[in-house]
Amino acid sequence: MTAKAPMNLRRLLIGSAVFRLALILYGEWQDAHMEVRYTDVDYLVFSDAASLMASGSSPYKRTTYRYSPLLAFLLLPNSVLHRSWGKFIFSASDLLVGYFIYKILKQRKVAEDLCLYSVMVWLLNPFTFTIGTRGNCEPIVCAMILWILICLMNGKIIQAAVWYGLVVHFRIYPIIYSLPIILVLNPRKSNAHRPSSQSGMEASTRYNLWTAAKSMFSKERVLFGLVSGGIFFLCTGLFFHLYQWEFLNEALLYHLTRADPRHNFSVYFYHIYLQYGRQLSLVEKLISFLPQSIVQLVLISTFAQDLPFCFFLQTVAFVAFNKVITAQYFVWFFCLLPLILPWSDMKLKWEGLGCVGLWMGAQLHWLLWGYLLEFKGQNVFLQLWMASLVFLLANASVMAVFIRLQRFSPIFLQIKVSDSKSGVKSQ
Amino acid sequence: MRIIGWICWRWKMGIIWKFFFCCCFIVVTLSIYGDCLSLEDCILKSYFSKNEVLTDSSFQDLLQDELSKFSCKLLPGDPNPQLTLSGLERRLIGEGSHRHLSSTIQLQVPPQSFPLQSCKLVMIERLPSGVFADPFELDHLFHHGAYAGIGVFGDTNLELPSVSSNRSAVEIHMNFEHSISSGAMSELGIRIDLPLHARYAPLHESGYSEVAFGTPDLLVSCSMEGSSGMRSCLIVPSHDSNRLRTDVVWKIPCGIMSHTNVVSVVTFATAFVSTLVIVFASVLYPKPR
Repeated sequence: MTAKAPMNLRRLLIGSAVFRLALILYGEWQDAHMEVRYTDVDYLVFSDAASLMASGSSPYKRTTYRYSPLLAFLLLPNSVLHRSWGKFIFSASDLLVGYFIYKILKQRKVAEDLCLYSVMVWLLNPFTFTIGTRGNCEPIVCAMILWILICLMNGKIIQAAVWYGLVVHFRIYPIIYSLPIILVLNPRKSNAHRPSSQSGMEASTRYNLWTAAKSMFSKERVLFGLVSGGIFFLCTGLFFHLYQWEFLNEALLYHLTRADPRHNFSVYFYHIYLQYGRQLSLVEKLISFLPQSIVQLVLISTFAQDLPFCFFLQTVAFVAFNKVITAQYFVWFFCLLPLILPWSDMKLKWEGLGCVGLWMGAQLHWLLWGYLLEFKGQNVFLQLWMASLVFLLANASVMAVFIRLQRFSPIFLQIKVSDSKSGVKSQ
Repeated sequence: MRIIGWICWRWKMGIIWKFFFCCCFIVVTLSIYGDCLSLEDCILKSYFSKNEVLTDSSFQDLLQDELSKFSCKLLPGDPNPQLTLSGLERRLIGEGSHRHLSSTIQLQVPPQSFPLQSCKLVMIERLPSGVFADPFELDHLFHHGAYAGIGVFGDTNLELPSVSSNRSAVEIHMNFEHSISSGAMSELGIRIDLPLHARYAPLHESGYSEVAFGTPDLLVSCSMEGSSGMRSCLIVPSHDSNRLRTDVVWKIPCGIMSHTNVVSVVTFATAFVSTLVIVFASVLYPKPR
């Protein structure tokens, strides 16, 4: 953050920082004096893994540690300085996300007040400030994603690729952004429609295909793919060398094959529980994979040029159609929501409030049945499953409303020129 | 370490106290805490060092071995010091998937001369398949002084349903409220609360799976003066089964097999309907040229 950042943003960030500091201190008090901890169970897992790493052991000796060793490395000072070091890092990332939102919107020529309101949507969201102060690491991932967007907007392909490789290693789910990034990197149109008096139709077709193939493997795309892939495999190779199959199983394969039968927001949980232990046929596996794949491909092909909006829709869909959904996944798209609001024709009354009400209502409905199952011991599996169906339909409906009311705003404008080269500039 | 050894020698503390004191300086592992770090002090650790899976019969065999190895008799022909378990009441407190198993234990110590010192109650809870104890939660409670020592052994995976998991067991050490001393009858009451969690149960048409708890193994571990210095020993309190109320059954909600087809069909149908909603919204999106 430069010294020239506007006073209101500075005040907003400072106020948010003070509030988060107060929450971290309160969390320490609650953990020490009350039976119910403020700190997330995951934070204790990270801390234990960091302690093991500090003592020279594998962080995977800690059961349920399913993250990159980089996270344990980041939290090494937990054992040396203070156990809340990690919470400060996560809350700082949370503030960085706020700053990046402002930076991206400013670069896209959004008015100052709209920028600040969008930043407030992130910084003042109760979900956001509790997640970092309770010790959840998702704000780091959000900050990396937004930084990648900034790098892409400024033409820093290699830097974007390095961070992209890192974030995919860290959390895997950002792999869904690979195709839209590739598509947006070189939006040059094929010159195949230039009139050609000498060549016949056949030659023109060959030229179209050749040009299309050439543009598919443009320098920027190849560079991005090679660098990000290289970083990902470098990290994977390095940590495999250090921690062997434990790393691969816990940090990578577990997430790719995870099918938790325990109740969660996903529509698939009860199906997985009822089928647990039974070998699913290839058809059954494909059927569960198809909705996610179709939605992702359709969203990418329609919205890739409006990269933040594409990321947002893809993330909501990815979470909604996933086999396991926990509340911490929501922050993956909460950080992208402020980036799309300035181009939305959605009015707060009543479309905005309607979407919030529908989404929150579906969630609360699920939580009610979840409470009866888990804390009252009532057999409400069927009702809970139906609540998860309602939640999926609510997500799909909210997405449809967002799509209907969004003004398409490509992240790059294409300059049409009469010679053979086409160029791009930031919007 | 020299200072610790000097203190232990100076006070003629038994092996139990030496390890307990030393444990304060040892980083606890994930599943055992307090004075349960040595084979002599933790019966379950001894069991799981030789067995992978908990079975009642093999555990009973090991327990008999431990009792004969660590007998509290001064001489081979002497009778065991008498302790009586005058009452045991067990209750499951709470609702839902997270409850406390409460055990209230009444012990009677006869008034005759009793050569034993520094006694503590050892309770071994062999958990039935379908419930588990969270080692990290117990660590938190241990550090709040709830137990003198605690160990969780066996399958401590917190996430697996019960069809994919093995049994686990918990060994709890509790100091007595009043020390056992010669010449005085003591009636000791000890309450142990053990937080437990239900695993996802196998499917059943009734919608509930019943998990029954057995009687815990209750022992008293003491220090006694032996021929080669202080050593630890184990006593099994005698008891009248009629005075023990130990039936505890936990009804855990479970999935119903007959739901399978409907759930699968409707789940995938809903997923496809949601897909169509998003696809149509995208296709109909008026993108400017």
